[in-house]
Amino acid sequence: MATESFGFPFEVGTLSAWLVWILPFAAAMIIPGIGKLSKHATGYVAVAFALMSALSAATMIPVALEAHELHHQIMWIEAIGLKGGVLADPLSIIMANVVGWISFLIMIYSTGYMKGDKDITRFWFWMMFFIGSMQLIVLSDNLLQVFFGWEGVGLASYALISFWYRDKKKDHVGVEGRTVLGMLDYYAPTHAGMKAFIMTKVGDVMMIAGMLLIFLFAGTFGFKELMGDTQWATTMAAQGLLVPAFVLLFGGAIGKSAQFPLNEWLLEAMTGPTAVSALIHAATMVKAGVFLVARIGPLVFALGAAGIMADQFFEIVAWVGAITALLLATQGMVNPEIKKVLAYSTGSQIGYMMMALGVAGLSHQYVDGYTAGFFHLISHAMFKASLFMAAGSLLHIVGSRFMTDMGGLRKQMKKTYAFMWAAGLGLMGAPFITTGFWSKDAIFAAVYESGNEWAMPLYAIAVLTAVITAFYTTRMIGMVFFGKKSKHIEKMEEEGHHIHEASLSMWVPYGILAVLTIGIGLIGLSAEEGLHHVFTDYLEHSFGIHSEHAAAETSILPEFLQGLNPVALGSSLVAFATGIGLGYIFYIGRWVDPVKFVNSNIFFYSIHKVILNRWYLNAIIYWCFVVAPLWLTRGIFRYFEKTAIDYGMNDGIQKAVGWSAKVVQGTQTGVSQSYLFVFGAGLLFVVLILLI
Amino acid sequence: MIEITSTPLVLIAILGTVGVILPIISIARKEKGSNSFYAVIAFAALIMSMGYVGYQFINENVSASALFSDDVIVDDAFGGFFAIAMLIVALFTTVGSFNYMRKHNSPAVYYSLILLATIGMVLVAYSTDLVMLFVAWELMSIPTYVLVGFMKKNPSSNEAALKYFLFGALSSAIIVYGISISYGLTGSTNIGEVIQGYSTLDPSLLPLALLSVGMFIAGFGFKMGLVPFHQWLPDTYEGAPSPITALLAAATKKAGFAASIRIVILGMVFLNLDWTLALGIIAVMTMTIGNVAAIMQKNLSRMLAYSSIAHAGYILIGLAIAPYSSLGLQGSLYQIMNHAIMKGAAFIAIAGIVTTLAVTNIDKLKGLGRKMPITALGLVIALFALAGIPPLSGFWSKLMLFGSALDASSVLWWAPWLAIAGVLNSALSLAYYGWITRKMYFEGETEKRIAEPKSIIAVMIFSTIFLVGFGVYPEPLIKFVEFATPVISLGLMP
Repeated sequence: MATESFGFPFEVGTLSAWLVWILPFAAAMIIPGIGKLSKHATGYVAVAFALMSALSAATMIPVALEAHELHHQIMWIEAIGLKGGVLADPLSIIMANVVGWISFLIMIYSTGYMKGDKDITRFWFWMMFFIGSMQLIVLSDNLLQVFFGWEGVGLASYALISFWYRDKKKDHVGVEGRTVLGMLDYYAPTHAGMKAFIMTKVGDVMMIAGMLLIFLFAGTFGFKELMGDTQWATTMAAQGLLVPAFVLLFGGAIGKSAQFPLNEWLLEAMTGPTAVSALIHAATMVKAGVFLVARIGPLVFALGAAGIMADQFFEIVAWVGAITALLLATQGMVNPEIKKVLAYSTGSQIGYMMMALGVAGLSHQYVDGYTAGFFHLISHAMFKASLFMAAGSLLHIVGSRFMTDMGGLRKQMKKTYAFMWAAGLGLMGAPFITTGFWSKDAIFAAVYESGNEWAMPLYAIAVLTAVITAFYTTRMIGMVFFGKKSKHIEKMEEEGHHIHEASLSMWVPYGILAVLTIGIGLIGLSAEEGLHHVFTDYLEHSFGIHSEHAAAETSILPEFLQGLNPVALGSSLVAFATGIGLGYIFYIGRWVDPVKFVNSNIFFYSIHKVILNRWYLNAIIYWCFVVAPLWLTRGIFRYFEKTAIDYGMNDGIQKAVGWSAKVVQGTQTGVSQSYLFVFGAGLLFVVLILLI
Repeated sequence: MIEITSTPLVLIAILGTVGVILPIISIARKEKGSNSFYAVIAFAALIMSMGYVGYQFINENVSASALFSDDVIVDDAFGGFFAIAMLIVALFTTVGSFNYMRKHNSPAVYYSLILLATIGMVLVAYSTDLVMLFVAWELMSIPTYVLVGFMKKNPSSNEAALKYFLFGALSSAIIVYGISISYGLTGSTNIGEVIQGYSTLDPSLLPLALLSVGMFIAGFGFKMGLVPFHQWLPDTYEGAPSPITALLAAATKKAGFAASIRIVILGMVFLNLDWTLALGIIAVMTMTIGNVAAIMQKNLSRMLAYSSIAHAGYILIGLAIAPYSSLGLQGSLYQIMNHAIMKGAAFIAIAGIVTTLAVTNIDKLKGLGRKMPITALGLVIALFALAGIPPLSGFWSKLMLFGSALDASSVLWWAPWLAIAGVLNSALSLAYYGWITRKMYFEGETEKRIAEPKSIIAVMIFSTIFLVGFGVYPEPLIKFVEFATPVISLGLMP
């Protein structure tokens, strides 16, 4: 380390790795103070710090491109030899840049979106806290530190989802009065925040159990140390604990990334300000779970290569991802609220990523699936952030979260219309020009080529989900921008509200991301190859995972598509065409009225109802884990607590102690003669015990 | 032959000289009421003594804990450990009296008596001869009789002194009786020789030897406040001036333990192991009765008096376990050091409350957290440390004590019950510590802050730093305790 000769304790890159997550926390520290001086200034401070954090992340890019890594540790708790540190390897550097830059854009957007909110200081505080926690997860070099960030993210999400804690009607989600199986499908912000917090905690508890299990055997939380000496894994595998430990860790990811069966919190999380939704869905929180799997996946695979098999872990990851992808995509088709459609879409896309990361471990070419999953994470971060921010603009201007209250807006909001198309095409996977296409195609190829026994069912689910994705995206755009103006808008215009384009600070951020979606999409194949190259080197260096560079086969595809899997490409194109075609028929061309179509026969009607009722999953969870325990506790309180505990133990113990204290006090007469008598008796007692 | 620079002799020289000179100065000066003048001199003497003990430790002039010696005193780590604990408490008492004695007469005599009692306590810990030990014992006791009754116009102070003296005289007599029996059996007063004599005793004389052990337990047990020799203790602690109560509870009590470890434990290991059961029973009785009685108390001094009885029970666990687990005595010494600081600080806090508010009734402590924030915080920290709440220092010593009981469970069937009793009692004690805390912080609303005596604040800050500091980072203290604890094993003979 040449820099050390200057007396500087870090390499410059290492310093950046620390700064990336410390800066947002520092901002969170000072923002309340600045808020006392000027509420207006807090936004600028937050944006400035977000930019600095993103720039710090950017300075590390050369390290990633050379597939180097920076690992810097400090002593954390000396007594138990616990070290803290940062680990900047290609994975975390790329992730940190995605998080950093997208957060930065969202922060700019927020300055417009949150303008004039009374509690703006609190908003900025939690946003910066959120970003800092996420970057802490990304750059930590050990599981325990990850867990601290993990909980920070959970806390911040709770605070931001219930940001509008006054529970005004306009801040709710769901249709007022609608019930599913007797459970109200209509949530207040405070309820939603609590729901998110508790549901993710289920995952967190599993995660901490998995962490501690590994620590018990390995004696370390560090990723490098775990990879360094794999004796612990052998021991754990011998006791059959290795797969359970990894699956428990994955439990944390299931909770954070809203995967089946802990997916239901994600929808209600829409009660937060839209900027928060964008942050949760594009850059932080839900991506944390994917990142965790990407962090530990290579380790598990490397262990497998060393003969310690943990394939079940990858199977579970792949199937959880697949189920979630399909389950949530179907619900996206029917929901009337624009943010909820996007939320379903997020869960579904995360499912894709999980599927890719899981399938990677089941194939021989780990790097293919790994790259595909991570590439999809990046492209999804871009187009989903863009879509959310655009949806936020719509909400802001129309004043309703329902798509049925919009309609025909393409004239008034031209820019938003264009950008939403661009980002939406990314989500649909429009061929050859969007990042979404290339990343989704890579996932298809990885699943198809994995050669696993589950490959075909997973592939079928992936393609079906792609069809549905294209359909609901078209539906969303159709409902918002095409057709007649809704009654709501007509009423607004009668009252003199002018429907207009969003302000500059709002449309620029999502414009940038929409343009990037197309821009990077145009060079998508080489971008993916670059990423593939970086990850190949990374996995080789850090985990010793070799990948065979198959000789380029000449396929039936034209020159510029060489290297793609023709089957994956074909199904990708068909899925896109089918989805957008169906969407066009119903919502843009409006040749068939979807309501009439659904009601036309009992079969469609019942499917629609099941999907609209969220597959009854949410209601069942509420019945089992909210209503039933409440009944149980009430019962216990009435029949056990009040009788056995209250009358029996509480009063009983209190009386017994009081009584014995009185007895003891009774001997304390204050009369010296009696004291002396006791003293003498005591002496006799002691001598007697000794003599016996 | 003992060297002239050995710690006990130098301490006698420093404390004795100042102790004798103080009253002479006061006669020469012929002026009354300059309390702080004498306090500063006494404080300086104690600091010098403390410095010398520390100096001896740092220069490694102190031998590792010697069990026995041919001389009457020995300059070992065990004695040094107790000397440090006692000197700290004596410093607490002196500093705490700055304000307390301002309104009272003859301060010179008061501080002189504190210094003389301190010599006595320190010498008890250093003694290796029964006669020396008895002399030191009396040197410690007699000044404290006077100090307890120092408020001569206050009837409860007088009553306290009378009771204390009555029991002190009785227990001294019993100790002398024990010494005379052991001398009769072995022909020596040197503790090492007595023990050697006991181990080769004719079996028909064994009951007599055991009788002498019983005498020692009862005699020292009076100072330690063991049940059933405890009844004088609450009355005395309540009636005595609060700084003196600190001295009694935190320091003279420890002298009893020092003497017990030197004689009863070290010595009697070689005699007969059955006595450990007696100590175990006394330990459980002591802690249970102490805690149960403390719950009902309305007076803070009295409550803490019972709590100090309970703590004697905890410390006794370690003594009972001593032959079976090396952790036992370590735990006891650790708890002794902690208890000296915790109890000392708690009674000094009471002294502060009494001098400013003139109340000791717990109901009247409402809103103390607002009235006297620093004193209240120091008191709460001391109380929580007494309850053994982590991460305060008191937690580690209790952990070690209860751990030693579990450690010994493989050879001693009743040992785990000591740990169980200890844990249950700690839980019980939380009830009254928590109650005081609630009174001080969660009741009363309109109180304004009033001036707190600076000397009390100094003690509170010191004790808080000690308890929190060694609670978070207990390593050095544990090392010191390990160094000071005599290693005893059944194979060891004098």
